[in-house]
Amino acid sequence: MSKLSSTDFTSFYTPRSLRRKILWLINLRWIATAGMVLLILLAANLLENAIPLRSLLVTVSVLGATNLIYILIAKQVDPSSLKKEMIFVRVQIYLDLILLSILIHLSGGIHNPFYLFYIFHVIIASTIFEQKKDPYAVTIFSVAVFTLMVLAESKHWILHYNLFGSSLSTLSVLISLGVFYLTMFSSAYLGVTLMGRHLKVKDIISRQNKKLKQASEVKTKFFRFVSHELKSPIVAIQSSLNVVLDLLGNELTPKTADMLTRAKKRSTQMLDILKDLLDIMYDRQLDEAKPEKVIPCDFLKEFIENERPRAEEKLITIVEKICAERGNLKLDKFILEKIFSNLLSNAIRYTPNGGTVTIYTSLDDTYWSFTISDTGIGISPIDKQHIFDEFYRTANAKKHEAVGTGLGLSIVKNLIDQLDGEILIESEVNKGSTFTVKIPL
Amino acid sequence: MSKKIMIIDDDIDLVEAMRITLESAGFDVIDAQDGAKGLAILKSEQPDLLILDVMMDTQDEGFQLAYQLRSSENTRDIPILMVTAVGAQTGFSFDSTKDESFLPVDEFIEKPVNPQALIDAVKRNLPIV
Repeated sequence: MSKLSSTDFTSFYTPRSLRRKILWLINLRWIATAGMVLLILLAANLLENAIPLRSLLVTVSVLGATNLIYILIAKQVDPSSLKKEMIFVRVQIYLDLILLSILIHLSGGIHNPFYLFYIFHVIIASTIFEQKKDPYAVTIFSVAVFTLMVLAESKHWILHYNLFGSSLSTLSVLISLGVFYLTMFSSAYLGVTLMGRHLKVKDIISRQNKKLKQASEVKTKFFRFVSHELKSPIVAIQSSLNVVLDLLGNELTPKTADMLTRAKKRSTQMLDILKDLLDIMYDRQLDEAKPEKVIPCDFLKEFIENERPRAEEKLITIVEKICAERGNLKLDKFILEKIFSNLLSNAIRYTPNGGTVTIYTSLDDTYWSFTISDTGIGISPIDKQHIFDEFYRTANAKKHEAVGTGLGLSIVKNLIDQLDGEILIESEVNKGSTFTVKIPL
Repeated sequence: MSKKIMIIDDDIDLVEAMRITLESAGFDVIDAQDGAKGLAILKSEQPDLLILDVMMDTQDEGFQLAYQLRSSENTRDIPILMVTAVGAQTGFSFDSTKDESFLPVDEFIEKPVNPQALIDAVKRNLPIV
């Protein structure tokens, strides 16, 4: 079997992946810090009104210093838990927001178009956090801080640095345009980076998918081969036993005949298991199914008649309350037959002689359903949890019927899942079981 | 004279089971382990009925052989019973009631072979002389 590559494809959200994003964030922050220093020095040279040069530089230095601390932590501490990485990244994002707010405040508040830079923080937060509430928290925080700042400046609770004068000077226009361009290109950069990541992930998924599909095909082929190889000897054994029992039966002592009958029964069991296994392989490969428009009531009778001889052997009455309304389904008839026949034959097998099996059908806006209710051995609440597991047989069932594969219900469940249907069980031990299957219209 | 039945099947135990069954019903039985040997024998022998296995060396050797026999002058009229353990879901699915119309085979019988069913099927398909 082909081995899947070691790429972690079960989760794209791991401490390690988060750490990679943090390192990306740290790199962006270096660029932002350097850009900021340049802009401040430029503004100090250009602007006629004095800017709070020292305060601005101190703030940017703090930004640089925090980034230095981040990178030291990132290099020293291995990404161990998702929770720790989340705290790490939250500290960075909120501290960045506070520093950005201080910078904006010191450079003109609402008159400084740099407030557009909040957008980047929001975008970055949206890409880093898994849960939706985090980016919104960042957004609300940004909006709140900026609003408070603007309010405080306009009410003169804090100083408003009027860097641009009251008129629309060439310089302020140039700065506004410059910031606008910067915002545009940075947004494009962020978008492209995100899309790149998205495509990379998609690429990984589709490659893994292909590998999985191939592996599954190899498995199926192998399985078919093995099943056939196993089937041949059993078929030969059974055919030989049939000949002995049917043709030479009179020459056998009762004891010999009994032992051979037992042997035949067990080889039948093995053949049944193989057939069930092939069924399971079949429903793993439902792409081969041929869905067509069918009216289940057209052939439900036929399915029931197939099982009737076994019911008659055990003097079980089959009560039919079916097809008062006839639904239309789009599915492979073979699949419906598998589901229905498996459940009906189970009901007959696990109902003591003289019992009753009742079959209902119903139709509503969304489902065509059938219910098979028996007066059989029932399923305990504990067994109910495992009843669809492959090879699972309840102790009660083993006592009642020694021979069984434990595959029937798991096949049924698989097929119903493939039809997007539902199966419901109600049961009481020694009273009976009711299986309801709902198939969407 | 008793009727001659030819079995072409690579499973010798299955051939033996069928041989005993058919001989007990008074038929003569000859056999071949694969299609090529079967064709060779058919040059000299003229059986009244053929029993073919679907899968021998290759997955559909039985079918191929049946087509070949049907297209040859000498063997065209020999009835063919096809023995199969291939359920409807092992690959090339076929429905024995539906596919007989275009398959060059007269009847399908399921493995494992039930003696009485085999004898009945053979009698049913033997040409009435």
